[in-house]
Formats: sequence, C-alpha cells, structure tokens
Amino acid sequence: MSEESDEQIAGSVQSGDIERFGELIERYQAKLMRYARKFLRDPEDAADIVQDIFIKAFENIQSFDAARRFSPWIYRIAHNEFVNALKKRASARISFGFDADTLFPHLPAPEETDSATLDRDLRSILEAHLDELDSKYREPLILYYFESMDYREISDILAIPVSTVGVRLARARERLRAVAMRKGEL
Amino acid sequence: MNDSLKGVVMEAIAEGRVRMRPRWHFLIYSAFGVVGVAIVSLLLVYVASLAVFFMRESGALFTPSFGMRGWFVLLRGLPWILITLVLVFIALLQLLARRYRFVYQKPLIASLIVIVSIVFLGGWAVGESPLHRQLADGAHHGNLPPPAGFLYGTGLRPPREKELYHGVIARILPEGFILADFKDATSTVLISRGTRLPFGADFEPGDFVVVIGDETSTDTIRAFGIREVRE
Repeated sequence: MSEESDEQIAGSVQSGDIERFGELIERYQAKLMRYARKFLRDPEDAADIVQDIFIKAFENIQSFDAARRFSPWIYRIAHNEFVNALKKRASARISFGFDADTLFPHLPAPEETDSATLDRDLRSILEAHLDELDSKYREPLILYYFESMDYREISDILAIPVSTVGVRLARARERLRAVAMRKGEL
Repeated sequence: MNDSLKGVVMEAIAEGRVRMRPRWHFLIYSAFGVVGVAIVSLLLVYVASLAVFFMRESGALFTPSFGMRGWFVLLRGLPWILITLVLVFIALLQLLARRYRFVYQKPLIASLIVIVSIVFLGGWAVGESPLHRQLADGAHHGNLPPPAGFLYGTGLRPPREKELYHGVIARILPEGFILADFKDATSTVLISRGTRLPFGADFEPGDFVVVIGDETSTDTIRAFGIREVRE
C-alpha cells in the first residue's frame, strides 16, 4: 500500500485516477465493518451497508475538501447510512431527532489522551454491554474507544457540538457502569 | 469477503454503474444552500419588521409603559400570525444553518441567540424605516399588486384592541383633548387624577399619542394611560 495520506489518495481520485479509490477501500473496509457491527448490533447486513458507504463515497468524492481529514468525511457518510438502516428496522430504538444535549453549552469534559488509557474494567464492560445502550450514547463510545477519534472528529461525524460529545461520552460511561453494577460485574 | 467487497465496488465503478458526481453539482448544491439561508433570513427580517410596524401602527408596541394593564393590551394586540411565521422561519433557518460546521460545532442556543438578535435588530431597523409605511400607503391606494394589499390590509393584522387608541391631538380641552385617529374620526379623551402619564402631560395639538382607556359613551374615552409617541 502507498505511503500517501488518505487525503492525497482522495485528491488523486478527484483528479480522475479512479483506480486509486480501491486503496481507500482497503484502508477503510475493516474499520467501517467494525463500526457497522458494533453500531448496528445485527451484523447480518453490515457488509451490504459498508458496500453502500463506499459507493456513496465514490459518487460524492468531489464534495470532499482535501484540506480537511478524510476519515471524518467517510465516517459521516457511514453514520448517515447506519441511521437510515436503523430507521428501516421497526424494532430499533433510535433517537436522532432533537436532542436537548445540543441546546446548551456544557463544560468541556476532559478528553483522555489515548483510548489505550481506558481501564481494563471499562473496556470489558464496553465489549459486553454496548448493545444495551441507546444509539445516541453507543455511537460516540464506538468512535472514541474503538475508532480512536477525537472529540472534534466525532463532532464532525455526528454533526453535534464538541461539548455535547464529551457529555454523551460521560453519560454513556455512567450508564455502562450502572449496567455492570446491576449485573454484579463491578 | 473483504476482497469481494472491494471487487464489487471497483467493478461497478469500472462498468459505469456507479458514477462520480461532478464538482459543479456540489458547487450548485452549496450555492442553493447559501441562497436558501439568505432568502429565509430576508423573509425573517421582513416578517419581523412587518410585525413591529403593525404594533407601532396600532400603538400596542407602546402600551407596556402603562404597567400590567398595558402588558395585557400588548399581548392581546400582538400580530400572532406574523409571530407564528417568524417562529417557523427561525426553525427553518436553524435547520438550514446547521449544515455548516461553524454552526453545528456550537450549541444550538448559540445559533438561536444569533438568529434572534438578527430578527430583533433587523426587524426593528426595517420597522423603523419608511418602507412599510410607503408600501402600506401604496396598497391602501391600490398602487401595489394584490399580495401587498393582503399583507398590508386586514389579512395579517391583529384585530383592533377595543381599549387602545392611537392618533393625533386635534385640540386641547380643559378636561383632556380631542383625539383624531388615522381615519379622521374624533374622540374626546378625558384625563383624571388616576390617568397614568409615564412621559408627562405636556401635550400640544399635533402630538401623536397612544391612549388606553374605556369608552364611557359614544366617542368619549376615560383614559387609563396616555403617552406621546414619535411618528
């Protein structure tokens, strides 16, 4: 695989070297599959949705601003596709409408320097109980701890204020701990 | 699976079943977004200023200086249709603006404060300008096409408040004055000890005034409050 950045490859694709789009697929396929499986809970149609994400990304690649990072851009497409997929499932509990968390400013929650600093207990709780969280809390957790995105990138992907990202992460952790306590795991 | 996914996508691209949208498509889309924001902003300021104009014209805008009763007169005299339209346009502008990074990265309340400030400042500035007066006069004399007639006629105006009077002092009387309204009908306004005069009682013929009070008999008003207003 080339040493060029995602943004440089995307720029080449924009200039007409469409074969290089394959390199972007190689770089993001595993990440998006992991994101899909964790977020959608039902991994059955994850491959089809990820395929749609790459198709949408190719169709819209001229809208990508090469001066910005590529990963939040493609994850934003993924987020939209996942939300659409969840909406189609009648049984899914989703909350993507108006959210009071986005209304007022919040004190900036401290951002951990690295997702590796996540303590062992919380990581095992995350793995075990992620499915029990509402989608609006599940998604920032996945992006932060599994996809190693920072607050600003998550803000771009979910199109919510940066301070709201911190609030949702903090609440998601609290809820996860509460689930683990209830089940006697903490 | 991994290879097949890449293969399927690249094959669809190679066969032309999946096509890259041209850059101009997105430029036009962005331009529509900017034009949409601009149009909704202008409509918002226009509707807000029309509401201010109607409240100035009826005198309801000035009644809070008479105290609690004045506030109730204001509430009853608000142009609710226009206010509803303002709220709809604010929500629409908020929706359109949240596509932009510099907007969605800030809390909703921040963009709301900016939009509401634009509404107040723009609405006030245009409401104070002669624009609506000239358009209303033009519509009144049938010089403007029908939509303007509807806008400035009775269509969006709040119904006249029974206890609210707005006009010009025609003549000073020992117990008050003769008030001529903008349709040249006259009423006698009686001032008593209890009449609230928040800006003084130094009235002269030709002064524009707002009066709230009760009509005691035909064309006679016992004033609860009187204030001079600038026209």
